[in-house]
Amino acid sequence: MEEVKIIALKESVLEDNDKDAQNLREELKANGTCLLNLMSSPGSGKTTTLLALNRAFAGRLKWGVMEADIDSAVDALTMQQAGVPSVQLHTGGMCHLDADMTRQGIRALGLEGAELIVLENVGNLVCPAEFDTGAAINMTILSVPEGDDKPAKYPLMYETCDILVVNKIDALPVFDFDRERMERYARKCNPDIEIYYISAKTGEGVDALADALVEKVKAWCK
Amino acid sequence: MSEVRVIQIHESIFAENDRTAERIRERMEKQGTLFLNVMSSPGSGKTTTLVAVINRLKDKLNIGEMDVDIQSSLDAQRVADLTGIRALQIHNGGLCHIDADMTARALLEYDTAGLDLLILENIGNLVCPAEFDTGAHKNVTILSVPEGDDKPLKYPLMYQVSDVVLINKMDTVAYFDFDLEKARERILALNPNALIFPISAKTGEGIDAVCSWILAETERVKRGA
Repeated sequence: MEEVKIIALKESVLEDNDKDAQNLREELKANGTCLLNLMSSPGSGKTTTLLALNRAFAGRLKWGVMEADIDSAVDALTMQQAGVPSVQLHTGGMCHLDADMTRQGIRALGLEGAELIVLENVGNLVCPAEFDTGAAINMTILSVPEGDDKPAKYPLMYETCDILVVNKIDALPVFDFDRERMERYARKCNPDIEIYYISAKTGEGVDALADALVEKVKAWCK
Repeated sequence: MSEVRVIQIHESIFAENDRTAERIRERMEKQGTLFLNVMSSPGSGKTTTLVAVINRLKDKLNIGEMDVDIQSSLDAQRVADLTGIRALQIHNGGLCHIDADMTARALLEYDTAGLDLLILENIGNLVCPAEFDTGAHKNVTILSVPEGDDKPLKYPLMYQVSDVVLINKMDTVAYFDFDLEKARERILALNPNALIFPISAKTGEGIDAVCSWILAETERVKRGA
């Protein structure tokens, strides 16, 4: 079986995560690297979406992935098998990553000249929203089976995010999911949030999301 | 040699929580109330499942429900509207879990005397709630089919602390790549005593089996076993 690099993260001792995050963002900017923090509930399709994006990027970006989980290395292995440089980060039971933990991950990934590094955060809608990781883009996924009321219940997540990806739209006929209601709740949290509808499984809508990301990354790295 | 004082803060917080949880459990035991803590990811169908279960049991049992959310009151309202029972909404102010002390404070606001069954719907999260004993007799977690059969691999503690795992949204199993046997194996590897019920809260499939288990547990608490 293929081997995946697994890193056990140490909890940050820094008091001021916001300041540390800002420093990391500036370091990355100077390096020409855009960090994207990807957050969602468990099982909403973060890894599958990244696989679909990899196909849609079609070599336009040099990119890598940091997979954060409490346990297991299945996600990093999946990404690595798809040819995306990856590292598995173990949070030691913690429900989120902060800027210092993110920095440890970027160092472990060690991807020279990366234009985009994606941090796939722990599957959780509460804690990750509270910690600035130093990312230039915060993106969240809401999958159709979770229901259209999530922005009403976890508002901070939607306030924090620049992009909302609604995944598993191929399953819309099977679930009671009201797009308008969801958008109303999401825009109440964040009027500027960009919303993309995709199915990572069928590929529907993925190209538009990939194009938007490529554009944002290139603009950041300039 | 000079002495150094060492304080185990992490441990003492949990120890204090465990004592409070034990007190809640004893009190519920004494008044003959079965206390269930229900946990899962966001959107796996906690409220829908509870509505289905409560509607089937409300003629047999006196049931109370407490719903934890960060700031919305959608769930308690839904439970109250759809079942007619008394539901309490707890706002936890942004925290990712509810602990025994918070449960004890909620119980000050909610009269549980005479209840056969008290249900706590925890915050949607597979990490933090698993770490805190709430004082419940039994922990129930819901894994929904669209989330995938790999969740036990990624969030092992949740499955280690859960006595019962409900696999929900079974009506959509044809639609997703979900291997029920694999899920079962992974859960049992973490917790060989876990009871696993495949259900669909939407169609009602499997809900009777869950209700039978709950009825047996309420009897057990009443007997003081």
